Amino acid sequence: MRRRGRLGFRAAGSSEGGLTAWELASFPPELLGELPAREGVDVEIVRPGEPVRITHVLDAVEPRVRPDGRAAFPTEGRAGEGRTNRLEGVTVLSCLDFPAEERPLHEQEALVDIAGPGAALTPFSETTNVVLTFRARDGLGNEELEDWARRETLAVAEELARPTLAAEPVDVERFELEPADEGLPAVVALVQLSDLGPLYYQYVYGVPAGRAGLPRPIDPAELLDGAVTCGEYHWAALRNPTVFFQRNRLVRALYREHDRRLRFVGVVLMRGYEQSAEDKQRAADRAAEAVVGLGAAGAVITTDAGGNSHTDVMLTCRACERAGVSTTVIVAEMADPGSATPGLTDWVPEADSIVSAGNAEELVDAWMPERVLGGDTLLDGAPARDSGRIPVRNYLGATNQMGQLSLVGTAW
Amino acid sequence: MRVVHYVNQFFAGLGSEEAAETPPTRIEGAVGPGRGLESAFADGDIVATLSCGDDYFGEHEQEALARLVELLEPEGADVLVCGPAFGSGRYGYACAQFSRIASERLGIPTLAAMHDENPGVAAAEGRVLIVPTAVNVAGMRDALPGMARLAEALVSGRELGPPAEEGYLPRGFRRNAFAEKPGAERAIDLLLGKLAGETSSEVASGFDRVQPPAPVEDLGDALVALVTEAGCVPQGNPDRLPSIRAQGWLRYPLLDEQRLAPERYESVHGGFDVSLANEDPNRLVPLDTVRELERAGRIGRVHDAFYTTTGNGTPVAAATRFGREIAGELRDAGVQAVLLSGT
Repeated sequence: MRRRGRLGFRAAGSSEGGLTAWELASFPPELLGELPAREGVDVEIVRPGEPVRITHVLDAVEPRVRPDGRAAFPTEGRAGEGRTNRLEGVTVLSCLDFPAEERPLHEQEALVDIAGPGAALTPFSETTNVVLTFRARDGLGNEELEDWARRETLAVAEELARPTLAAEPVDVERFELEPADEGLPAVVALVQLSDLGPLYYQYVYGVPAGRAGLPRPIDPAELLDGAVTCGEYHWAALRNPTVFFQRNRLVRALYREHDRRLRFVGVVLMRGYEQSAEDKQRAADRAAEAVVGLGAAGAVITTDAGGNSHTDVMLTCRACERAGVSTTVIVAEMADPGSATPGLTDWVPEADSIVSAGNAEELVDAWMPERVLGGDTLLDGAPARDSGRIPVRNYLGATNQMGQLSLVGTAW
Repeated sequence: MRVVHYVNQFFAGLGSEEAAETPPTRIEGAVGPGRGLESAFADGDIVATLSCGDDYFGEHEQEALARLVELLEPEGADVLVCGPAFGSGRYGYACAQFSRIASERLGIPTLAAMHDENPGVAAAEGRVLIVPTAVNVAGMRDALPGMARLAEALVSGRELGPPAEEGYLPRGFRRNAFAEKPGAERAIDLLLGKLAGETSSEVASGFDRVQPPAPVEDLGDALVALVTEAGCVPQGNPDRLPSIRAQGWLRYPLLDEQRLAPERYESVHGGFDVSLANEDPNRLVPLDTVRELERAGRIGRVHDAFYTTTGNGTPVAAATRFGREIAGELRDAGVQAVLLSGT
């Protein structure tokens, strides 16, 4: 069956009125090819329902390849043009246990449970997962290991999608620029990307967010097409792995609503974890300017990671509201389950419209997997097979703050 | 089901304001609203009614609570039901405190009922199940069945469902649920609602606003302490302060040090890039500057120890405890002012 999605969109900042179109072609998971043999990497396949726990997870990536030969995760040129093939229902999960004594900012445990109570917290319990476990190598420091693992993971994701080049897609979605009813409210997605130093970077075209000239508007199709990749390994639940950009539900929903309930006028990327109070305020003001520059009446502001980056989001919310742009902010809560204390790291009175991505502090019931991939011992020293209850914050992407999942904190 | 019911002097039929000084007292069986409450139970008897004058409770809270617990204990109650107090502040406060203390001391389930803006709700600090009622006594008929239902649920021992389903006020806890739509779609709905003039939020209350204290009148005589959450510790982190989710705080002597030397101190904080902080630890704990101020007579003296923890991923409840403990020590040491550096 071949279906053509019709998703209209006017290009962000396309003053010349030039139209670009991007097509995303879906192919069935059965096309998953030969598993790649890579030195220093254990490769295994895990399917839905298997009693498996995956530990020390870095990233999750959907296999993609471009028929025209350009890179699926480009570091030059532009994403979001032409056609990209995706292998539907397949996820590449990368795992790496960094040498402990070198941890610069102490990355946190990151789990994916394919079955048991934690399976409901992740979309990866429903996909066929190619699990890459990277083994630490003598002589390589954390940053070099990370660089190796990140590049290899993206390369494997591209390689796994290669069989689609000789197959027929089951579905093609077209992300196209079309003018919309001017009477509808103009809406922007303001997407925060972490940059807190090595091991805590999100990447824009292969460049750490802090060096990518943010804040700046991009074509929403770029975000869906591999322009943004993950290299941020702080709180697992608050992480935005690469696939959450590739399959970004906020951007996709804004495309869907375009010319129906709103006018989607673009995506603005901004950095999280500015390091001084002045820089935080400046970045917030500049992000608001970029949003105003797109003519937006409203912005959905998303968050990456936690703590310090929540201050960036709140200041940005305030700056937008002061500039006359209405905002809704997506944040995770970190409320002690045993007490009635507040769960937001930061808050401004202007943040009067908040979507909760869930309470990352809640505990998930104990579960004993039959098999563990990624490493048998959790970072806190507990055995991964018998670790007792685990907080939601250790589950990859469970309370991600781009609104990818349905978890929500509710008042009790 | 054995129920003990608490009401104030007015609802116990002891009189209104003129009886507000009545000390705790026990009345056999149900009185006043207790009769309606009793008839709302599927199978429950009010074995006794306890009452206290609103003014007496307010002026002798500890004695009143002790006496009420003493009266309650021999009843062998399965549940204590307090109120409904509607909008009455003094009555609501007594209901909340008695509910809380009775469940803490005797371990029996308790509940109270009052209007959601009654000061008793805030006084309960999330530790009491409170059935919301109308603001005045006209809401009695509506209030009693809900109170009876919740009492029965508590006695059954089953796990309570969400507040709206069970009919009690949210206590401030945050529990996860799965929404019908992903967060992204909910965000678009909220934003379009807000643009159309209807603002709403999934996190609508419970923000912690700390009022700054009054300025110190004369710093020239003040003993000033340095406190930080920046994870500043002696090199090598001898006491293993965690970089994240610290469970406590540490105290290190400052004696005659004039500044924090980079070869002697470092930051183990896991929430920011510490390289600039480690270049010069005085950027986190400004000992060099306060020593200058001390020499210049601008402040009296620098306290001979600094306090440190890692403020990173710390639940507010834990951070509040650290603050209380550190403040207690500082107060005992006669410290008048604190320079608190955050990151």
